[in-house]
Amino acid sequence: MSRVVVLGSGIAGHTAASFARRWLPRTETVTVVSPVDRYNWVPSNIWVGVGLMQPHQVTFPLAPVYERHGIEFVHGFARQIHPEGDAGDSRPFVAVERVAGGDGDFLRLPYDFLINATGPRLRFDMTEGLGPEANSMSVCTPEHAQLAARALDRAVERMRRGQRQRFVVGVGHGGCTCEGAAFEYIVNLEFELRARKVRELAEIVWITNEYELGDFGMAGMQMRRSGYLIPASIFTASLFAERGISWITRAHVRKVEPDRLSYETLDGGEAELGFDFAMLLPPFSGVGLRAFDRQGTEITDRLFQPNGFMRVDGDYTPRPFEEWSARDWPRTYQSPAYPNLFAAGIAFAPPHPISRPHTSPRGTVITPAAPRTGMPSAQIGRAVARSVVDMLRGAPRPTATASMAEMGAACVASAGANPFSGTAASMTVYPVVPDYERYPGYGRDMKRTFGEIGLAGHWIKILLHHMFIYKAKLRPGWPLIPE
Amino acid sequence: MPNRGPAVPDEEAASVTLPTRWTVFLRTFLPWQAWRFLRINLKMLGMVRRHH
Ligand SMILES: Cc1cc2nc3c(=O)[nH]c(=O)nc-3n(C[C@H](O)[C@H](O)[C@H](O)COP(=O)(O)OP(=O)(O)OC[C@H]3O[C@@H](n4cnc5c(N)ncnc54)[C@H](O)[C@@H]3O)c2cc1C
Repeated sequence: MSRVVVLGSGIAGHTAASFARRWLPRTETVTVVSPVDRYNWVPSNIWVGVGLMQPHQVTFPLAPVYERHGIEFVHGFARQIHPEGDAGDSRPFVAVERVAGGDGDFLRLPYDFLINATGPRLRFDMTEGLGPEANSMSVCTPEHAQLAARALDRAVERMRRGQRQRFVVGVGHGGCTCEGAAFEYIVNLEFELRARKVRELAEIVWITNEYELGDFGMAGMQMRRSGYLIPASIFTASLFAERGISWITRAHVRKVEPDRLSYETLDGGEAELGFDFAMLLPPFSGVGLRAFDRQGTEITDRLFQPNGFMRVDGDYTPRPFEEWSARDWPRTYQSPAYPNLFAAGIAFAPPHPISRPHTSPRGTVITPAAPRTGMPSAQIGRAVARSVVDMLRGAPRPTATASMAEMGAACVASAGANPFSGTAASMTVYPVVPDYERYPGYGRDMKRTFGEIGLAGHWIKILLHHMFIYKAKLRPGWPLIPE
Repeated sequence: MPNRGPAVPDEEAASVTLPTRWTVFLRTFLPWQAWRFLRINLKMLGMVRRHH
């Protein structure tokens, strides 16, 4: 009997575990380790953050789902990977710190194949004063989003008493990713302030590390419109201008105080910006898993990049931007160090950013990190599960691939949640990582790269919310719903 | 809160491309959006299929 262990129950880990379970006979064990015992459909946290949904509408308990489908669940934090076992037993294992047992309650969990899908650590600590425990809001978790919704309610109360309020939304560090999520939040916030009839008392400001609006960490995109290929920066600027949102680009937020933030810009400038409400997403790193060899010597740096993300089959040779290639991107997500070790979703280390890197005169890197959004995370989770299942059946190497340079992404960014007057920006890009050899000029297939704003996008967003929660609950027919 | 800091809208904002009234109208015009709903779903499905 063999055991596949999946670390993390987010989009990537849950998808990998569900497919591994579906494809493996019940004689094999599939185990999920996660410190969070509820599944969270993260994209809908945006609606929690503006008060339109409650946390229970974007989460559900995992234990009953896993019990029904024969997936073992361990409620804990994976802390250490021992890919060679230890002096006493050569079977690889993960050391898991159980949530219920408190500090020091470790479980030794042996595995034949391990999928690391632990997602990001939210690095609020990288900017002084950043985060819900300090001076700004976040929507990364349902709890954070609920705090943001309460802070928004308080700001609205102040506006109802006639006070003007400044809302600052964006990213809280020069190296952040996930600009798309912050973008969704700012346009939803603007819509909500209109719905609550206090918009005229609000000033709304977007602050971002992007070089141009609409970069979203994927070097922007071009779209065909009226005989032209128009960059996403034009559409994003238009969307902001229409809604009276102003913007600061190329910024690294250095410090957040209770009523103001200070930031540095790429041209070397420094400035302060006051606010009454700030929602600033944090930078990400890996969750800090450590690895040890059979003798107990630490080998973390063999398995992980310095930022804590796991090294897989990408090409990590440092190269200048001009020499980056679509071929640098991983295809199978197998660790080069141990063939039974894989990473999926945000947990894998991208070889480099997608957007052109920029550094300020003080040496601060102000460049979005490469995003690994929901659709690629789920597709990678599924591909990794396929490879693991085939390798358990004797395949000598991974059988499935899911390179971000060979897959597209569909993204629907809500811009106001109302079934008749709401809108959303619907976008598809193919491929996510531009491939300038296959698609000279823009790196993308222009027939498959498009975007438009409208109510239809909002309906799609609602449909996706219900469809993906249904799928995650592994209800009848779930495998038919695409990732 | 004291409104410290720069008055943010920069010169860029003045030169932005804005949608026509017709474009804005179409964004929430139900028959047109029902059609777009079908088209966008098909486009996205095509994208997903391409990978699978
Ligand atoms: C507010 C917001 C909105 C977004 N909107 C969209 C959108 O509209 N469309 C889109 O495509 N993407 C969106 N994204 C991005 C998307 O949510 C992520 O790409 C996706 O969640 C990544 O999946 P993941 O499984 O890699 O990581 P996660 O979903 O973060 O899951 C990581 C899992 O690992 C667990 N874990 C952490 N540490 C450990 C440990 N030590 N041991 C074991 N388990 C551990 C966590 O508890 C969690 O279960 C959004 C992100 C945010 C924050």
